[in-house]
Amino acid sequence: MSEKHLSSQFDSDLNSVSSQLMEMGGLVETQIQRAMQALAIFSVTLADEVIQVEDRVDGMEVAIDRALTSTVARRQPAARDLRLLLAVSKITTNLERAGDEAQKIARKVKSIVENGEARDMPIGDLRLSADLASSLVRRSLDAFARLDVAAAISIVKEDDLIDREFKGFTRKLITYMVEDPRTISESLDLLFIAKAVERIGDHAKNIAEYVIYITWGMDVRHRPLAEVEAALRENQADDGPS
Amino acid sequence: MTIMTDTPASAPASPPKMSVRNLDFHYGKFHALKDINLDIPGNQVTAFIGPSGCGKSTLLRAFNRMFELYPDQRATGEILLDGENLLTSKQDVALIRARIGMVFQKPTPFPMSIFDNIAFGVKLFEKLSQVDLEERVEWALKKAALWDEVKEKLFQGGASLSGGQQQRLCIARCIAIRPELLLFDEPCSALDPISTARIEELIAELKKDYTVVIVTHNMQQAARVSDYTAYMYLGDLVEFGETEQMFFKPNRRETEDYITGRFG
Amino acid sequence: MNGPARPDPKLRAAFFARRKWMNRVALALSLVAMIFGVFWLMWILWETLWLGFGGLSLTLFTQSTPPPNDAGGLANALFGSFMMVALATLVGAPIGVLSGVYLAEYHPRGWLAVTVRFVNDLLLSAPSIVIGLFVYAVIVIRFRQFSGWAGAAALSLIVIPVVIRTTENMLALIPSSLREAAYALGAPKWKVIVHVTLNAARAGVVTGILLAVARISGETAPLLFTALNNQFWTSGLSGPTANLPVTIFQFAMSPYENWQQLAWVGVFLITLAVLGLNILARLLSRHK
Repeated sequence: MSEKHLSSQFDSDLNSVSSQLMEMGGLVETQIQRAMQALAIFSVTLADEVIQVEDRVDGMEVAIDRALTSTVARRQPAARDLRLLLAVSKITTNLERAGDEAQKIARKVKSIVENGEARDMPIGDLRLSADLASSLVRRSLDAFARLDVAAAISIVKEDDLIDREFKGFTRKLITYMVEDPRTISESLDLLFIAKAVERIGDHAKNIAEYVIYITWGMDVRHRPLAEVEAALRENQADDGPS
Repeated sequence: MTIMTDTPASAPASPPKMSVRNLDFHYGKFHALKDINLDIPGNQVTAFIGPSGCGKSTLLRAFNRMFELYPDQRATGEILLDGENLLTSKQDVALIRARIGMVFQKPTPFPMSIFDNIAFGVKLFEKLSQVDLEERVEWALKKAALWDEVKEKLFQGGASLSGGQQQRLCIARCIAIRPELLLFDEPCSALDPISTARIEELIAELKKDYTVVIVTHNMQQAARVSDYTAYMYLGDLVEFGETEQMFFKPNRRETEDYITGRFG
Repeated sequence: MNGPARPDPKLRAAFFARRKWMNRVALALSLVAMIFGVFWLMWILWETLWLGFGGLSLTLFTQSTPPPNDAGGLANALFGSFMMVALATLVGAPIGVLSGVYLAEYHPRGWLAVTVRFVNDLLLSAPSIVIGLFVYAVIVIRFRQFSGWAGAAALSLIVIPVVIRTTENMLALIPSSLREAAYALGAPKWKVIVHVTLNAARAGVVTGILLAVARISGETAPLLFTALNNQFWTSGLSGPTANLPVTIFQFAMSPYENWQQLAWVGVFLITLAVLGLNILARLLSRHK
């Protein structure tokens, strides 16, 4: 959105909405990282921090929605401005949910620590996919900031990786549980955390899809990836949409 | 679900620049404005919206006593500018109009050069040296975002400009007299969208130094340019409040029906 | 409910063919009418040119009207006509413009304006001979003397209503928003009128004055009773004053060939002047 509107007020409205969204994204990203750190070192303090940040994230969601409502009511946005505002609204929802997932992880970590459960579970794999999920969130926001469709598509692809990791991890946990039924309780906790990580990846993927929606005006949700990639190649062939 | 706690109440926070008290207006026997009460906040843009014939232009033209040009129009009540009632015979109409500028629906360049169009009004109230006068003209044209387009042809006729430029010339002509309040009577209804956007941008710029009141039959324009909006219908002031509130959740059903196009 | 049935295309085409044919007939008739009118006009112009052009010479402007069968010019008539027309315009145009301003700007619906407008309409359509007779009765009889002054007075009485009417009409054409814009700046009424409305209507008002001048430069009837005519050069206007229209009338009616020739030249000069004024008026009203 580099070209300016005739109305500088409109420009500043849009810019402020975008930068608020980036700020919110930054918060959610730290939430996810802290949550995973809390799991790694079983820290209740870190987990509490994650839970506290949640309030700020919620507050930002409300503030951004209000700014969006006001901009829509006063500016009657059209075309890519309209797509941008609609997408921002959905991206905030996804970010907020990702934050919720981080909070869930934090709560789970707290309960694991408080119950004094065994700590020799295979959390290494979990950290790997969590790092991936958190980087997907960051990269989806980068893609939004630059309206980079290629980056968005690669995020959509990498989310599949997290999904596969999740399945593998589930199988691993099942093996543990079969081998030693005493680990069932911890395994279920970890499964719960793994599910949360997988969901964070899904939210990042959704954000990436909205980036494509903003730039191309094409709704790529629920469409096979191959089709989207074909469209990308086609668009690159004629220099892409403006 | 969410309550907008930090939105100010609909009553303007800053002290009013202009207050209308119990204003009634008649065209002959026709009762065009009925007991209007309204506070127009300073350094803000206030928009009057409503269907044709609702009295929004009439109200605007009462502010600078424009209606006095026509014999059978009369206003009763009070219109206070900084607490001074404008509707008394003590007030000199010319001096009121020097404090309250007005821009009309159609661009109205005078049949003289661009320079003289602006100098005409200035010379009515001030005795300036040629240098000061030139400075003032340049200042006004810059303020109206027209200087760069006309500085090479200041001595050509005002009618040689495009419609949008003519309208900005009229705005420059108004602000050259250094008024406190600017009234816009449907200033963009004769202009294309680009010129309209320019004027709207200019209005947003002007509110730093002036209190602006704009009448528009274009609701979206009111939404874009104004801070406060008044909805009028059949001579009544139906609702007055913050523009954001008016276009998000008006208090009155009638207002909502009008701004959502369910009117009539 | 599909509304009225769509007519059969063939019927529609037939109907339309008839309309096209009617259109051609109407076009042909109006062309014939135009040619008829223009034909006579051209004939008049041609005759004037043909008969007048031959008599053109410098002596026309240097010598006064001659006795029968002698050489001479039209200098005294041209000068007298010029003086009277100029004087009538100088007196009549300001009165006309000011009255027009009053009618359009001050109290367009007042009783005075309504009366003035009615009287002005009467004056506008009054035969010029009536005006001549009026000035004869009021000035010539009272001073027992035909004079150029009386002639100029009669002509100015013709100028005034024309100028009043055009001024009022031209001012009425100025959109009221322009007036309002000037008042909205706090300008006093006279400034609004002088600088804005009259200024905007300037071309129209000047055109009106030019048309009035064109009209009086050919008027004969009012001069017959007032300025009469004079065979000799006079520098003042206090006695009978030579003028072109009456000279033309007398010379054309005379049996003398040189007088008749001079009459044609006079007609030629008047036609030329009126044509020039009309073209000028047109140019002015085009360049707003």
